[in-house]
Amino acid sequence: MAQNQRPKSLLDSLGEEIIRILTPVSICMLLVVLLVSILNSSSSLYVTSSIATIAYSETGSDSSWDKFIGALLNSLVFVAVVTVATFILVLFFYLKCSKFLKIYMGFSSFVVLGFMGGEIALFLIEEFSVPVDCITFLVLLFNFAVIGVLAVFMSKMPIIVTQGYLVLIGMLVAYWFTLLPEWTTWVLLVAMALYDLAAVLLPVGPLRLLVELAMSRDEDIPALVYEARPVTHHDSASRPVQTRIWRERQNARLDSEDSSSLNSDLNSTVSIVQSSHNGARIARVEEGQVSQRDAELSAPLIDHRMDAQDGMSTESLMLEGMGLGSSGAIKLGLGDFIFYSVLVGRAAMYDFMTVYACYLAIVAGLGITLMLLALYQKALPALPVSIALGVLFYFLTRFLLEVFIVQCSLNLLMF
Amino acid sequence: MEASQSQASANAALNPHPNPNSNYTNNSNSILSSTPVWPTIDGPLGLSEEESLAYARRFYKFGYALLPFLWAINYFYFWPVLRHSRSFPRLRPYVVSSAIGFSVFSVILSSWALTFAIGGEHLFGSTWDQLVMYNVADRLGLTGWS
Repeated sequence: MAQNQRPKSLLDSLGEEIIRILTPVSICMLLVVLLVSILNSSSSLYVTSSIATIAYSETGSDSSWDKFIGALLNSLVFVAVVTVATFILVLFFYLKCSKFLKIYMGFSSFVVLGFMGGEIALFLIEEFSVPVDCITFLVLLFNFAVIGVLAVFMSKMPIIVTQGYLVLIGMLVAYWFTLLPEWTTWVLLVAMALYDLAAVLLPVGPLRLLVELAMSRDEDIPALVYEARPVTHHDSASRPVQTRIWRERQNARLDSEDSSSLNSDLNSTVSIVQSSHNGARIARVEEGQVSQRDAELSAPLIDHRMDAQDGMSTESLMLEGMGLGSSGAIKLGLGDFIFYSVLVGRAAMYDFMTVYACYLAIVAGLGITLMLLALYQKALPALPVSIALGVLFYFLTRFLLEVFIVQCSLNLLMF
Repeated sequence: MEASQSQASANAALNPHPNPNSNYTNNSNSILSSTPVWPTIDGPLGLSEEESLAYARRFYKFGYALLPFLWAINYFYFWPVLRHSRSFPRLRPYVVSSAIGFSVFSVILSSWALTFAIGGEHLFGSTWDQLVMYNVADRLGLTGWS
């Protein structure tokens, strides 16, 4: 019985691919919005000192111009630190100190998951007065942190577990970023978007250097990257499915798969102005199978990841950017998750109307970036378009749309 | 030997469950009779059988270091082993003992936690206030830094 099978084009599976990368981004944003709306119900009077507020601590009584200048200084400092950190990462990668980077990364992400996760859990416990005792709490937290470290870059775990932990790490770091003062957050987002653009596309940018080093050595870039499952084509069932070991590249190299990522360790209690520990957590979740899309996507596309410095006394370098894995699955760096969620979380601090507007803007930006990725077939920065649209829509909604909607509602006209 | 054994059991397993989710065993192609059965829940994206054995053993041993979640991961990850019980004879004891270990641990922990939560002060007296987490956090100043 002959069946005519149309060869599957990129467009047929693109919808599924987009969904598979949009779902975790949306989940991360939703979780951050939930956390922000639960925990920040009291106005955030705390000014968390961190590396991102080292230049200027925003107080409520400064004029707008002072706040803006202060935020600009903060962001410049932050971007400078991130740049230095990325160059250090490139240096380490160049000198092949993968073992050291990997151990450091493991330790840092354990600290992040354990301490940051523990802090947020404690906030939630205090908020809801959950009668849990410290023994149970410690056991659960310890388990959570250890499994997280293993899942993210040390061992093979179920794919869903690894993806879940990456989303959780993004959520934890994004929540901490939302604790920064308001002007600083917005200017920081714009600054990071510009930095991402420069670092990925300029030939002297650190991320581009990192990518080219990795390509020339055919190693994995040390970074925390979320990789979606590849879309299986059911008409390719007659082809033999190549077994892929979790985290193994197609050329069967196991060494640098989970290699180094610098990770900043999270020092949650004291010493705000820590020396920059930059860490790029790298988890390369590479899964894939041989499919006919390999013919289309033969060149291994590399992800650009950006190192983002954590404002709160922990600097974690996470690389962000988008690319296509060698199996054709879409990869998105964890820094992208984080900054999208920071934008939406900060919008949630104002009102839910801005949350919806910013969410749609970010998704639209992500879709545009994916289209560009399919068009240019090289690693692209994922931040600029989405952040630009998100910031634009936030301010438009806040200053123009809200007035309109509120007046319409009050006069029982619409909504 | 093991490949043919897994294939035979794959054939037996394929018939009552035609074409399940590709998350589990990869039997999307029912034309070929030699579709392999994968030991992990990820199917063809997961581990091969030899590696699965090494991982299952390692997870099982490390679970004793007060890490029962590793046993849960073991159980969850290698669930096809329990489903097609004849095809992976070496993996099965580890997965089964991981499942038993996790359930024992969860029973113990949940009974303690529930006793603590429900019993409250009239069961424990003053030590309840010393043990409950939000007081411990306040005492140690764990959440006051931000």
